[in-house]
Amino acid sequence: MNPLLDTIMNLEVFAFIGLMVWLYLRPTEIDRQGSPAPDDPDDVKREA
Amino acid sequence: MFANPLLIVALLTTGAIAVWGLVDTAGLATLSASLVHIQFTSRAWFIMLTVSFLLIVTIWLALSRFGSLRLGRDDEKPEFSTISWLTMLFSAGMGVGLLYWGAAEPLTHYLALTELDESREAAASALFLTLFHWGIHAWTIYAITGLVIAFFGFRLGCPSLVSAPIGKVFGAYPIAKTVGWICDLMAIVAVAIGLGGSIAMGVFQIKEGVEALFGLSNTGALLTYVIFGVLVLAYILPLTVDLQKGMAVLSNTAMGIAGALMVFILIAGPTHYIMGGITQSIGDYLGNVVTHGFRTFTFMDERVESWFQSWTLNYMVWWIAWAPFVGVFIARISRGRTIREFLMGVVLVPTAFSILWFGTFGSAGFHAALRTDLPILDVVRGNVSAVTFYVLDHMPLPTLTIAAVVGAAFLFIVTSVVSAAFVLSMFSTSGSLDPPVRVKLAWGGLLGALGLVMILSGNIDTVKSIIALGALPFVFVLLLLVVCFLKALKAERIPVS
Repeated sequence: MNPLLDTIMNLEVFAFIGLMVWLYLRPTEIDRQGSPAPDDPDDVKREA
Repeated sequence: MFANPLLIVALLTTGAIAVWGLVDTAGLATLSASLVHIQFTSRAWFIMLTVSFLLIVTIWLALSRFGSLRLGRDDEKPEFSTISWLTMLFSAGMGVGLLYWGAAEPLTHYLALTELDESREAAASALFLTLFHWGIHAWTIYAITGLVIAFFGFRLGCPSLVSAPIGKVFGAYPIAKTVGWICDLMAIVAVAIGLGGSIAMGVFQIKEGVEALFGLSNTGALLTYVIFGVLVLAYILPLTVDLQKGMAVLSNTAMGIAGALMVFILIAGPTHYIMGGITQSIGDYLGNVVTHGFRTFTFMDERVESWFQSWTLNYMVWWIAWAPFVGVFIARISRGRTIREFLMGVVLVPTAFSILWFGTFGSAGFHAALRTDLPILDVVRGNVSAVTFYVLDHMPLPTLTIAAVVGAAFLFIVTSVVSAAFVLSMFSTSGSLDPPVRVKLAWGGLLGALGLVMILSGNIDTVKSIIALGALPFVFVLLLLVVCFLKALKAERIPVS
C-alpha cells in the first residue's frame, strides 16, 4: 500500500477522533437546556 | 415522492450501484475488493478499536446509574413480554446467516488454522473465532445503534432517523442539517447493500438445499434465477399491504424452526461431543473475548492478515451495515425498557444463543471431520454453501431437516427484505411510520436488483467485499451517534430510586 495514502487515511481518522472529542466537550444547546423533566421534578436530582 | 431530495438521491445512488453491478459485475467486484483492501489495511486498528470502544461504553452504561433510565416516560411499561421481545430481536439480527455459517464457518477457520499449525487445538480456536464474530461485539453494535434511536425517539420525541440525534444535539450548528442528511444517506446505502448481500447468501444456500433435497446436480445458473424469482415474488406482495403482524409471525416461525433444528442436532448427533464443544467454547469465549476485540494480527504474516481482513473485519463492518436497520427494529420493540434491561437483553441473550448454535453446528461438523472418514473438509474447500446440508445429510431424517433449513432460510430472507424495505422507506421519507406503498415497492425492487448483482458476482467473498464497501463510512456515523447520546445523557435527570 502507498505509504502516503496510508498516512493521509490515518490522519483523517485522527482528525475525526479529535473532532468527536471536541464536539463532546463543547457545550451545546442540550447541555444548557437539559432534556425534558420527568413526571415529578421533586423526585430527581440533577446530574453534573 | 419526487419532492423528497433524500429519497431521490438515495434511490439514484443505490440504483447506480445496482446498474453498474448488472452491467459490469466483474468491474464492481474488482474495484470494491481493491478499495476495501486499502481501507482494511490502513484502518483495521480503527475498526477494532471502535468496536471495542462500543463494548466498553455498553458495559459502562449497563453498570452506571444511567442504566435505570427508561426508554420512554419514567412510568412507562414495556410493550412486549420479555420472551417475545428476545425472540423478535434475535431473529432480526442474525437471520439467514446462522443457517448458512452454522457448521461452515468453524470448519473454514479450522482449515485456515491447520495450514498454519497442525495442532488439534485448531478446532477449539476455530470455534472461538466464529463465536467472536457472532457474539457480544456484533450485538453491541446493534445495541448501541438501537439504544441511541430509542433514547432520542421515545425519551426526547425525535423521529426514528439516524440524523435525529445529530439534529437534536448539534441543531444550532448550520452544518448539522447537512451532516444529518449525509448520515441518513450513508445509513440507507449501508442497509440496502447489506440486505442485497443477505439475499444473495440466502439464494446460494436455498439452491444447495433444493439440490440436496431432490438429488439434483449441475443445475447451473437456472435454478439460482428460479429461486431468486420466487423470492422476489414472495416479498413483493407483503410490501403492498400492511402485514407487519404477519411478518412477525413468519419471522418467529423461522426462528422456531432454527431452534428446533439446533435441538434436533444436539439430540440426534454426537451429544457428548457437542456438549463438550459447547462447554469448552463457553470457557474460551469468556476468557478471551474482550482482549481478542483489540487483536489486529499486526505482527503476523500476510496470510494471517488476509484471513483477518476477509473474516473478522468483514464481519464487523457487516454488522455495522445492518446496524441502522436492526437498530430501528430493536428500538421499535423496546419502548418502556430501561437502558440496563435493553443492553442486557440485546447483548447477552443473543450472544448466549450464538454460543449454543455454533457450539452445536460447529461441533457436529468437527465430529464429522475429526472422528469419521467423511470428506467434509473437501466440501468446505469446494462449496461452503453446501456444508450445512452435508452435515444434515449424514444425520437421521435428512429430508426433513434439509427441507426445514430451506424453509427457514426462505422465511428469514422474505421477512428481512420486507422489514428492510419498510425501514429504508421510513429513512427516506423523513421518518414516516406509514411510508407510501410505491416507495416501499421502489426499495423492494432495488433490494432485489442489488441481490441479483451479488448473485451475478458468483461467490460469497465478492458479496462480502461489496457489503464492506457500503458499510465502511457508517463506522464514522456510529461514533458520531455515540457522542450525541453521551451528550444527551449528561443532560438527563436520573430518577431517585
